[in-house]
Amino acid sequence: MSQHDRTHHARIATGKGDPQCFAGTAGGPSKFKVGDRVRIKDMPDIFYTRCQVYTRGAVGEVAVVTHESPAPEDEAWGHVDKSEWFYIVRFKQTDLWPEYPAAFANDTLQTEFSERWLEAV
Amino acid sequence: MSHDHDHNAPAPMVDEISDFEALEIAVREICIEKGLFSAEDHRKFTEFAEHIGPTPAARMVAKAWLDPEYKKLVMTDAIAASKAVGVDYLNPTGFGTPSDYTDLRVLEDTPSVHHVVVCTLCSCYPRPILGFQPEWYRTPNYRRRLVRWPRQVLAEFGLTLPAEVDVRVEDSNQKCRFIVMPVRPAGTEGWTEDQLTEIVTRDCLIGVALPKPGVTSNLELSVHHAAKPAHH
Repeated sequence: MSQHDRTHHARIATGKGDPQCFAGTAGGPSKFKVGDRVRIKDMPDIFYTRCQVYTRGAVGEVAVVTHESPAPEDEAWGHVDKSEWFYIVRFKQTDLWPEYPAAFANDTLQTEFSERWLEAV
Repeated sequence: MSHDHDHNAPAPMVDEISDFEALEIAVREICIEKGLFSAEDHRKFTEFAEHIGPTPAARMVAKAWLDPEYKKLVMTDAIAASKAVGVDYLNPTGFGTPSDYTDLRVLEDTPSVHHVVVCTLCSCYPRPILGFQPEWYRTPNYRRRLVRWPRQVLAEFGLTLPAEVDVRVEDSNQKCRFIVMPVRPAGTEGWTEDQLTEIVTRDCLIGVALPKPGVTSNLELSVHHAAKPAHH
């Protein structure tokens, strides 16, 4: 019988929530703040990621600094010892999709990234 | 009756199941055999999960429309605000299902910004406060198209927004879950919290509809009257 602890996650999150149970584990303050312009890196994502291809290379603005958590690329494999800050980034739709109608140039899209995916512009 | 006497075996109740249903049954049965949970645990959890609906979230919005202090709490700590509508996000099921803990954030519509929620990666959804996703929310069609052609997709739901209202899509791809707080519609002046709760439908909370006085459901069920009704 496998010795893998399947209840670990439930135990650390019960009564706190997840990601809340990882508060204070990123090892310092967030690198970016609300309003910062950031570019989404186009890194290899072999095996698992939650960074959408449609955002790669796009420039947006940090809308919310959300929480600390292991990145999904690590957590998917049970590696929860290192955390990162997460950010909701707001993009102009016309910056994401070349065919997005100019008549709706103020339409936006928001989605969330762990810090490793962001670089300052 | 001998055990090989099966030519009168009843037809299966379900003729066809999808690959995912077969997978779910296989994993569930292995878990039960290994003693991770019992069949009774599974039945209880399924019933618990299936009875959750969007009403707590609708009440949260209605309360926030009426009470500016509560609205501040909703916007800054929706997890705490959930408790006032009977949802404990920190132990949502009592069964230890961490996928439901997550974080909850409320996206406030204004007269000039309309929010709509999608999860392009799977179907992330604030289940403890909204219940299960509608089937369309899980479809690749909705997930692929909403991020790219939001106005067209909203129009297919019957929501055509004027150009002066900006559409903001929220792709819920990490540990935050979202509900939309629509603008309180005209024609609801003087309404009670119960009345307001009724018009904040599930689709309004996802952002594919706007609340309207008189509309209390996303389903339009036509009533088929019995051909030979019984009279008592």
